[in-house]
Amino acid sequence: MKRILALVLAVMLMATLFVGCGGSSDNGNTTSGSSDDPFYGEDNISLKVWAPDAAVALTQKQCDAFKALYPNKTISIEVIAQGESDAATNLLNDPSAAADVFGFACDQLNKLEKAGVLSPVSDYPEYEAAVKGRDSEESIAAATLNGKLLAYPETGDNGYYLVYDKRYVTDEDAKTLEGVFAACKKAGKNFVMDAGNGFYSCMFPFTGGLKITGLEGEDDTQVFNEYDADAVADTLVAFATLFHDNKDNFLSGDVSKVSSGMSVDPSTVAAGIDGSWNAAACQKALGDNYGAAKLPTIKVNGEDKQIISMHGYKLMGVNKSSKFPESAQLLANYLTDEECQKQRAEEISWGPSNKNVAASDVVKNNVAVSAILAQSAYSIPQVNISSTFWNPMADLGNNLFKEGTKYDKDTLKKLLQDTVTNIKDE
Amino acid sequence: MIKSYKFRRHFTNAITYIILAVLGLIWISPLVYLVLHSFRADGGVSYPYLVPKQFTFQNYVELFTQSKWLNPAASGSSSVDFPKWFMNTFVVAIFSCIISTLAVLMVSYAFSRLRFKARKPLINVGMILGMFPGFMTMIAIYYLLKAIGLDKTLVALVICYSAGAGLGYQISKGFFDTIPRALDEAATIDGATKNQVFWKIILPMSKPIVVYTVLTSFIGPWTDFILAKIIMQDKLDNYTVAIGLQKMIAADMITQHFKHFLAGSVIVAVPITILFLFMQRYYVEGVTAGGVKG
Repeated sequence: MKRILALVLAVMLMATLFVGCGGSSDNGNTTSGSSDDPFYGEDNISLKVWAPDAAVALTQKQCDAFKALYPNKTISIEVIAQGESDAATNLLNDPSAAADVFGFACDQLNKLEKAGVLSPVSDYPEYEAAVKGRDSEESIAAATLNGKLLAYPETGDNGYYLVYDKRYVTDEDAKTLEGVFAACKKAGKNFVMDAGNGFYSCMFPFTGGLKITGLEGEDDTQVFNEYDADAVADTLVAFATLFHDNKDNFLSGDVSKVSSGMSVDPSTVAAGIDGSWNAAACQKALGDNYGAAKLPTIKVNGEDKQIISMHGYKLMGVNKSSKFPESAQLLANYLTDEECQKQRAEEISWGPSNKNVAASDVVKNNVAVSAILAQSAYSIPQVNISSTFWNPMADLGNNLFKEGTKYDKDTLKKLLQDTVTNIKDE
Repeated sequence: MIKSYKFRRHFTNAITYIILAVLGLIWISPLVYLVLHSFRADGGVSYPYLVPKQFTFQNYVELFTQSKWLNPAASGSSSVDFPKWFMNTFVVAIFSCIISTLAVLMVSYAFSRLRFKARKPLINVGMILGMFPGFMTMIAIYYLLKAIGLDKTLVALVICYSAGAGLGYQISKGFFDTIPRALDEAATIDGATKNQVFWKIILPMSKPIVVYTVLTSFIGPWTDFILAKIIMQDKLDNYTVAIGLQKMIAADMITQHFKHFLAGSVIVAVPITILFLFMQRYYVEGVTAGGVKG
């Protein structure tokens, strides 16, 4: 792009710089307000919130309700669509131009903390106490790093569950992976899961007993538990055998493939592993035939083993570069409290991290959310994960189902050891 | 053995045409797929058939009815506002097209016709600067724009797309060099100034190169992604179609908006196609009637 050339631009900008700089208004009103003012004297507040597209309308509504709580303040809040999966990346591009309050997936906590862009909740004892009183322990653990609560738990359901079409897969079939595959084969339809993605493929070794237990050292090396390599390898063999035996009915693809395969007529997908965020799309596609359950069991050496998944949380963070830090904390606290979590559970089926909402009828009556919360009992929290975790894990997943790969125990044991070594070393 | 020349010719022609047809088919297939599936009624992201089973205009209709810009009363369930993005891109394209076309032609004219001391050094500097990849300076551009409060604005895009345009002078300078200087001299004898020579003599004879410059500078904003993305950040209202379409297939939007994305991609092709069809007439005319016997 020859047209975009700094030199010419810089000359032009220098000329305008004088104009621009003149109007720069420094926001130095750190005046101390009265102690009963939750804004600590901030006024004429303008905040920006990032929420994923599906939640923008609801979040805007909640922000309006927030404004109505403080009629004597001038507050403007703008909600912008920004997916949680790449919130950290977009924030780090330029924190000062990013949102004041933003939703993100909990695996980005490390990255954000390292970059020093989060304003920790622990600096605000009253909010910290509120969070500790209302949210589940697991979600608080997911938002805590080195003993410091860094962000507000927003949901407790960033995980996946088994979705199935009740016309082809019965509730009984859905209890075992073998049953699911048999039903799919009978119906001539596919079982879809994203087996080549570390977020899902980690279920293969996790089911066998592998666990991640934190990070250590300067460069955050992943630590694993003392696992039994033979047991894990046996489980991997069981998965690989099922995938190869059912290769005509198995498809590896992301969750959008699950919902779109169910929405075509005639449908091509009878069951799959679907993410909580995509549940609405599957529900729409299947209607009354929508079935959701915790992940099934798999037979390893004659014994049914519950599949262990990875379970994440969505958190809401406050940007350290926010011009209205007190107000941003207040808003983040408001948006993650019981009432707002309840509204999200009701209107967009987001599973709560709030203990009261999780026990309420709203959640119990929502099959997808209940399935995910049921699965969370058999899961490893998505916290303290090294950034080198995902690619080797994805590779392991790919090696289990790719045609032409060997899947005897020795090969897979070696694969497991290579994967662990790669995660540690990379 | 191959018997006659005629047979041989037909045979080789047949082979050639088959190869060309296959290549053509391969080349056109993504476009055909895109257009066909933008009218698809059923399914979501993945679809098991090459040709859709049901057709509808719904994707196009929704693309425009869900716009908050066209229809402020829209329920506001989605942040996708394709018509707004389209208009943004159109405005940016028009302005940067006008500015950069003028800049390119004027710079080329100066380098081709005027003789001044810094001419050679300037030509060289222009060449060298032109060799640096544009994305090298993008972050710097962003922070400079931010310093003067122009980040996340359409004005910034127009500035960036047209500011360095003058450096793309090589092709049109080459073209101007082929126009005989005798014409300039004749005009000067008749009392024309350098300015008049440019507007009245050189420009009317340079239609092909004007059209070429207009086309390239108009298409730029429609296809540029990386710079627009850096400048616009999260300001959805000021997105151009390129970043807007990419936003539509982000993880949190793809399930609802994949078919809108297909429809949007087809619509993006419309202004470029129209412009090209319209300009092509002049383009061909210019090429055949350009040049003056010297």
